[in-house]
Amino acid sequence: MYADNQNDITRLVVRSAQLLLAYGADSDLVEELSQRLGKALGLASVELSISSNALVLTSLVHGRCITTTRRIRAHGINMMVVCELQRLCLLTEKGVYGANEVRRRLARIKPKTYPAKIVIPIIGISCASFCHLFGGDLMACILTFVASSIGMAVRLYFSKRHYNLLVNFAITAFVTNVVAQLGYIFPLTDTPQVTLAASVLMLVPGFPLINAISDMVKGHINVGISRWGNASLLTLASVIGITIAMQLGGIF
Amino acid sequence: MLSLFLDLLHDAFFSAIPALGFAILFNVPQRYLGYCALAGALGHSARTLLMHVNMPIEWATFAAAALVGVITIQFAKRHLAPPLMYAVAAIIPMVPGTYAFNTVIALIQLTAQSQVSPELSAQVIVNGLKTVFILGALAVGLALPSLLYYRNRPII
Repeated sequence: MYADNQNDITRLVVRSAQLLLAYGADSDLVEELSQRLGKALGLASVELSISSNALVLTSLVHGRCITTTRRIRAHGINMMVVCELQRLCLLTEKGVYGANEVRRRLARIKPKTYPAKIVIPIIGISCASFCHLFGGDLMACILTFVASSIGMAVRLYFSKRHYNLLVNFAITAFVTNVVAQLGYIFPLTDTPQVTLAASVLMLVPGFPLINAISDMVKGHINVGISRWGNASLLTLASVIGITIAMQLGGIF
Repeated sequence: MLSLFLDLLHDAFFSAIPALGFAILFNVPQRYLGYCALAGALGHSARTLLMHVNMPIEWATFAAAALVGVITIQFAKRHLAPPLMYAVAAIIPMVPGTYAFNTVIALIQLTAQSQVSPELSAQVIVNGLKTVFILGALAVGLALPSLLYYRNRPII
């Protein structure tokens, strides 16, 4: 393998690892996939060092090392990208794709998201079913649907304009809670408390939390702790939004 | 017996919806959405069944999360997709929302008062402990299959 060839392949591998981390894969998966992809493309070994916002990768062929660093900016969770990369790795391993094909595929990966007109109502219905599971009556469920749909619309609005995620979560929690408090002001429902609890559940940082534990359990302690810190901060931001809304509403 | 079955069915239906909703929020590809909903429904109704036979909620959650872990690994093997993609959406219905909310509310009330009241402190401690342990049970239960069975082998 020639030197420029190793350069090229290393770039492909580090690009796939960067995409995986940016769109929310856990460290174990990133490490496994990039090592397998590298070996399938002819590298002797691939070693990774992952931290919370950067990635260092070294590839080795014939006693010659190339080390490269990439900055990682979190782009939110997108499982389509992760799925696509997993498939790419497996097909390369089976010998279906060569380096050129991998390059073409990597360049073609676009993070597609579901349109807002699907996401907003489905999240509203999800929170309404939470409300039902927690024992709310019908009016409480409807109120939850309205509150969390409005909240989700606010969240999408702010994330589209690239606001800080913490600010976004605080504002979303505030708006959702304000709408949900209508159950206290008007005698619509007997269980206004359940509405308040269920409507903000769309802000649960599920992926950072599960990735954090999954990383820490499998030995990536520092990435796990930073993800844990991130999840806690997001929760704290939502709590601040809820607190402000409830103090203004004068519920206690 | 029939009423228990209907209860479980009701439970499965209303937990499949949030699992589906959150799968959409995480941009899971369309052809896998149904499997996320299925795993969510199975997990939550398994937990309800275990709590019906008087298992404490923490242990029931742990067992249900382990079940979700096993199921999602099977899905992952069949579709060649990462298992966490199904699993995270599937455990969302089991997240201890009310406990977490009650903890926060009691904390805020405790802050607003000038002295420490034993009722509110008790509420914070009881609900907070439940939240922490249920979350821990969810995450560790989910990781259990790969810790015990797969160890260092790749799942797919």
